[in-house]
Amino acid sequence: MKCVKKFDAIPKLDGSWKFIDDYSYDDMLHGQLLYSTCHHGYIKKINFPANYNLSEFTMVSPKDITGDNIVPEPVCDQPFMVDKEVMHFGQVIMGIAHPNRKLLLKFIKETKIEYEELPAITDIKECLDNEENHFGKETIIDHRTKKEPKGEWIHHHNVYYTPHQEQAYLEPQGVISVYDPKANSMFVLISAQCPFFVKSGVEAIMGDAVSEVIIESPEGIGGAFGGKEDFPSLFAGISSLLSYKSGKPVKMILERVDDIQITTKRHPARVELDTWTDPITKKIKRCRIDYRIDAGAYQTLSPVVLARGVLHSISGYSVLDTFIRGRLFKSNTPSNGAFRGFGVPQALAAMEAHIDRIAADLNINPYEFRKINLFRIGDEFPTTQKIVEEHLSDCLERVIQKSDYHKKVIEFAEWNKTHKDKKGIGIAIGYHGGGYTGNGEKVLDSEVKVIIDKEAQVKIFVANTDMGQGAHTTLAQMFFEAIEHPREKCWVQLPNTSKTPNSGPTVASRTIYIIGNLLRKFAFQIKDELKFKNLEEYVKTHQNEFPKEFHKKFVPDKSVIFDEDTNVGIAYKDYSWAACVTEILFRADTYKIDLKKNWNVMDVGKVVNEKIAMGQAEGGITQGLAYGLSEFFYKPGFGRANGFTGYTLPTSLDLPEMNIEFIHTDSEIAKGLGEIPMDFPAPSVRNAFHNATGVFVDEYPMIPERLFKALEENK
Amino acid sequence: MKISFTLNKQAVTIDVEPMKRLLDVLREDFNLLGAKEACGEGECGACTVLLNGEPVTSCILNAAHADGSEIETVEGISQTELGKLIIDCFDETNAVQCGFCFPGFFISSYHYIKTDGEKDLNKIKTALSGNICRCTGYEKIFESVMLACERAN
Repeated sequence: MKCVKKFDAIPKLDGSWKFIDDYSYDDMLHGQLLYSTCHHGYIKKINFPANYNLSEFTMVSPKDITGDNIVPEPVCDQPFMVDKEVMHFGQVIMGIAHPNRKLLLKFIKETKIEYEELPAITDIKECLDNEENHFGKETIIDHRTKKEPKGEWIHHHNVYYTPHQEQAYLEPQGVISVYDPKANSMFVLISAQCPFFVKSGVEAIMGDAVSEVIIESPEGIGGAFGGKEDFPSLFAGISSLLSYKSGKPVKMILERVDDIQITTKRHPARVELDTWTDPITKKIKRCRIDYRIDAGAYQTLSPVVLARGVLHSISGYSVLDTFIRGRLFKSNTPSNGAFRGFGVPQALAAMEAHIDRIAADLNINPYEFRKINLFRIGDEFPTTQKIVEEHLSDCLERVIQKSDYHKKVIEFAEWNKTHKDKKGIGIAIGYHGGGYTGNGEKVLDSEVKVIIDKEAQVKIFVANTDMGQGAHTTLAQMFFEAIEHPREKCWVQLPNTSKTPNSGPTVASRTIYIIGNLLRKFAFQIKDELKFKNLEEYVKTHQNEFPKEFHKKFVPDKSVIFDEDTNVGIAYKDYSWAACVTEILFRADTYKIDLKKNWNVMDVGKVVNEKIAMGQAEGGITQGLAYGLSEFFYKPGFGRANGFTGYTLPTSLDLPEMNIEFIHTDSEIAKGLGEIPMDFPAPSVRNAFHNATGVFVDEYPMIPERLFKALEENK
Repeated sequence: MKISFTLNKQAVTIDVEPMKRLLDVLREDFNLLGAKEACGEGECGACTVLLNGEPVTSCILNAAHADGSEIETVEGISQTELGKLIIDCFDETNAVQCGFCFPGFFISSYHYIKTDGEKDLNKIKTALSGNICRCTGYEKIFESVMLACERAN
């Protein structure tokens, strides 16, 4: 477990590392999006402001599309630009470019659009409470027994809501498209997670008009967290169309306010839980879950989020008789998309709160209740997948011990008797399946490439981007440690779709888990095949063999069989496990929760680079805590929040003292780490608030107004 | 409007619209790309520079503010002894993630160490509270600045 330093840290600190807005081309235009300010309706007229020379502008609308006006996604239902009906606020109507960015922004601001407005759904509860308002297809996990519930079992029913969450990557969405008329090719430099997704997007909108599309990553991608998974396909499609029409390079960088209003967010959710618990054994005997998420106006990748949410919705508990129903609901808000956790934070928000609710009702400690119901080896997930390790239980035991949980429960109860402010302590557990769901990794058919040159320099080619998570440092480390080669002679190349094989998207906690472990195996294989002890020596004595190119494909484990229609089988080969405890102080005068201390114990398998892994965990836990506590759109669907002033991101003063430990690190494989830290922290805050005040809050975030209301209602 | 100021210890004069944002002056007229625009409303600190030795968000200052002042950017500060020491500390702790906010954090850290420099976690947290990082959870940043305080003294 070495701590190799990041290769890009120093240039990022001295400001020389280039992000998309730091690149420019001669004769470059600036592009922007003209988007709808109506939630639902028809466009009657677009009035451009007077006093501008319209001939200086390049404009593209659906009639300029040389290919299809549909963004390629798991469900192809979203147009690049409004064709007839505006379906949501922030829907792209036109792309507009001009040499002067400031003038362009002013022009767009002054452009007025007249609409014929239609009824619209913009409120989360209006969207999710209406039984009829869904897209049709359901995701069901049916693990029911035919037994009727026994009369003495105690039934608990409750509904939990979670809101939109903004990825808030610090670098706004940005792209430069460069059309080359001589080669009839489109080159796209873009801050995006998945270069091959963007390639499909640009190819779809351009059709046969261009003969080649090449997507490349800039040096730096200023954060993504899922927010640069699918929106870039639409975004690059429009910038490319502008470049094609104008014959000039087009740079498009979103203003923060626009970025917040029109790009994808975490899906709001409504999770309705029904459980029946045996009051004697304290075992949950029966569970029914109705998991609903607001997809927005289009389905796009939401079915995939839905599946992952449904698959994790039971949390870490073994319940023999389970039925889970997942559905996508419609609203007139921008399509929701990927965000670290991908449906799991919503699922755990409900179940981890529900567990404390039952425990309180049965008058049992939330830790004891979890312990009784936790997965044991030999138990099954509702998908029938067998539990093969008890690491979740190990995480829970360790975190309870580290946080001195039992002692604090007693101490806080005593302290609270004599104080107006209240102390509380809460537990939550979580887990996350690594890689694509079910047969997804088979379909991806990922491939990596390595070139070793005459100087024994190793170049690694993968499509996975480094958006700050340190993937390119860690991937290189996994290769050079296995092949025993110096670090300074082994580099991951910047992804470029004309040079890099498709090793799949940078999503689903799969980069280190799938591609890293593959590179490690690949290094051992090359070493075995060429039979060397020292690569440098070998290259020196076999100069005629180099440069040499090696390719390797990911071969999924044959035992991973999953029926995507019935959701039966092995949904994920490997799971990461976690448990956490959070200590809060509730301020009685301001109704504010101060986060005091937070302990996390996680099993993510082998930890390749401890400092990078720790940084990932700290960042994810911070986003998770803020999801439960403070991040909120006050007006979903319209205006939402005006930039970072309205959308409150945690600062250095808002966070608890954090303690993180990785266990079972002697594992052979590195499992998923990117998402799990986001999944579980939020419910621990809610449970701590209950511990402090005796009141449950069923909706995130736990802002003072909501706490005030909950406490008033419980008086 | 003609404005003159000291930019990274060099005297400069430029003819510029007085309302042009200082951030744009630095990026467009001087090709100093280290300061970044993340929020455009002075909220996140990614565009931080030093104006007469004090950290300011250059996205909400106009060019006219720079007239007669001394401006230091990440490009200049990173070449100083203290700047190099701080960079080494951030590098050692693997604190940097996406890096978009880091030129700002670097300048706020530099300012704190230069004007106070006490190895005190609460003081450091306050000094950095004008800079937002979405990747790290701040822990490794605090660790880096604590280390830099220790070494600078």
